[in-house]
Amino acid sequence: MQETNKQVPVTVLTGFLGAGKTTLLNRILTEQHGKKYAVIVNEFGEQGIDNDLVVDADEEVFEMNNGCICCTVRGDLIRILSGLMKRADKLDAIIVETTGLADPAPVAQTFFVDQDVADRTKLDAIVTVADAVHLSSQLTDHHEAEEQIAFADVVLLNKIDLVDENGLEVVKQRIKKINPFGKIINTTKCGVPLNEVLNLDAFSLKRVLEVEPDFLTSDHDHEHDDDVTSLSFVSDTPLDMEKFQDWFTKLLQTKGQDILRTKGILDFTGESDRYVFQGVHMLMDASPMGKWPEGKERSSRLVFIGRNLETMNLKEGFENCKSA
Amino acid sequence: MKADLNNFPQLNKTKFENRGKEFRLGIPVINAVTVGNSIAVGFGDGTVRIFSSGKSSEPIKAHKGIVLCMAKDGDHILTGGDDGRFLRISLDGNINEISNFGTRWVDHVTSKNGSVVCTSGNIVYLWMPNKKEPKLLEHDSTIGGVAFDSKGRKLAVSRYGGVTLWKKDYSNKWTSSDLIWKGSHNKVIFSPDDRYLVTSMQENQLHFWRLKDKIDSAMSGYGAKVKSFAFVGDSKYLATSGANDAVCWPFDGDGPVGREPICLPYVGKQLVTFVESFPNENAILTGLSDGSVYLSEIEKANNTIIIRSFTEFEVSAIAVTDDCSHLLIGDMGGNILWTSIWDEEKN
Repeated sequence: MQETNKQVPVTVLTGFLGAGKTTLLNRILTEQHGKKYAVIVNEFGEQGIDNDLVVDADEEVFEMNNGCICCTVRGDLIRILSGLMKRADKLDAIIVETTGLADPAPVAQTFFVDQDVADRTKLDAIVTVADAVHLSSQLTDHHEAEEQIAFADVVLLNKIDLVDENGLEVVKQRIKKINPFGKIINTTKCGVPLNEVLNLDAFSLKRVLEVEPDFLTSDHDHEHDDDVTSLSFVSDTPLDMEKFQDWFTKLLQTKGQDILRTKGILDFTGESDRYVFQGVHMLMDASPMGKWPEGKERSSRLVFIGRNLETMNLKEGFENCKSA
Repeated sequence: MKADLNNFPQLNKTKFENRGKEFRLGIPVINAVTVGNSIAVGFGDGTVRIFSSGKSSEPIKAHKGIVLCMAKDGDHILTGGDDGRFLRISLDGNINEISNFGTRWVDHVTSKNGSVVCTSGNIVYLWMPNKKEPKLLEHDSTIGGVAFDSKGRKLAVSRYGGVTLWKKDYSNKWTSSDLIWKGSHNKVIFSPDDRYLVTSMQENQLHFWRLKDKIDSAMSGYGAKVKSFAFVGDSKYLATSGANDAVCWPFDGDGPVGREPICLPYVGKQLVTFVESFPNENAILTGLSDGSVYLSEIEKANNTIIIRSFTEFEVSAIAVTDDCSHLLIGDMGGNILWTSIWDEEKN
């Protein structure tokens, strides 16, 4: 294959202003000696990034019409990533810093939708830096804060030295309620081993198999309808593939705006392989991922993160997919 | 066992490769522009090289990272880079920095009759002849492409949601009107007779407007993004990349609405990545994703000859000198072929 087709990992850094994104960025850039990084920043970003390849971006979100699926992508990222991939010197990684109020969905969707971007780069992980002191109030006041937690593969809970033990636990529970997959790392001044935030390959289907989210019950409390929550389902009865596809396709088409992320491992009747998928809103990546491990019980697991999940009859829909 | 001759790599060199000069530079070729009987090439390491008959080409260190865009400006070239610099370069390598935008990229450049344009983000910077300061034309979203009409009185600026068409009146004042079509528009060109405006889109399709009555339509059905397209001959056909065939839309008469394109097929299942018209002929040069390049007559599909055999790297630039004596082919693997077109010409 062409050398230019080697996929460069892209890490997306989200988090509210003042949470510590720039601190983490500079830590990555100074500690990773001998590696070549491109850093894509936005014009409202905090200053002082110490790297020789910094690109200014505009966070331009636009709609794309791909057949029946409408979704938003980051136009500036398509342009900049395609440009960076033409460079003679190969990059080890690309880091995209988003503005404090950015919705991470268009960033993630860009990697599903644009073929050039998907061929040459891969979304490695979404890392959200959260301020342990202010996160709770930010989650209450801003949709964007909830989305940044909901999309995170890693939540860097920063400034933990400024809250007491009880306060820390409350914030952590709040994060877990929104996003049971996200790995929470406690830090002060973003002090974290870099292998816990870089090269995670969190968006590969293989990783879905390794993640064991904290499974929640479907009868949960919610403060108001706008809250992002998660729901998960398990079934030891194999699923009917046709029924599942019918239900799930319709679900994403009609409720995809409210469903932020989905992940699942599925056991279909008559299939020897495990089916693994993960999705962002209406877009999905799915594939058989090899045989079920011997000696382990086969089961289907499905997790949703989103808003208004309780109105979607998810439990009933999932139950109806079980083979008779 | 039976060999699949259709998919068998072309190992024999073509006569053009045998008599031309091949350069294996290993640096991605980003763009190529004809300036008289020379061809300027921009590379993925920020350098520019000028290829002319009988002369060697030395790298000109123009930009720090990539030569993002390039255009002819009289007997010079204009370049824009990811180092934020907008440059005017002579064929002997003298560099004049017109402007510097720092960490913002210079995405597109063009010129006509002494007017010089570059874009960065959502702003067009337009230097009128003999003016030191540019005029700024601002748009609502990032600019996907710019093009002057043949007289230099209109400037088309493609962007999200359509094209802004700027017109210059006789007191040199620029006013704009909008050509609207949902979606993000990239490269834009006028037809040689200025009757049509064509854009390629983020989706796998093109869009065109007939300017006299603003009739517009999509040209779709592509398997990949259309990154390269060119009018051929006297604007009779628009040749396009983005499919396994070179798809050529008819633009004579009332244009392509309701008419089928001519599709020129090539051996194997390679994607067409670059198309360039062959000057003064109803023929196109087609570059494929495996590096091979063919010359085809549009209305005589069996009149196709192979110019370059495969290199494994997608063709990213093709240019022909103004006197039609030489052509240059470049690919993303940094391979360049510079060859005479006719048997009796020297390299």
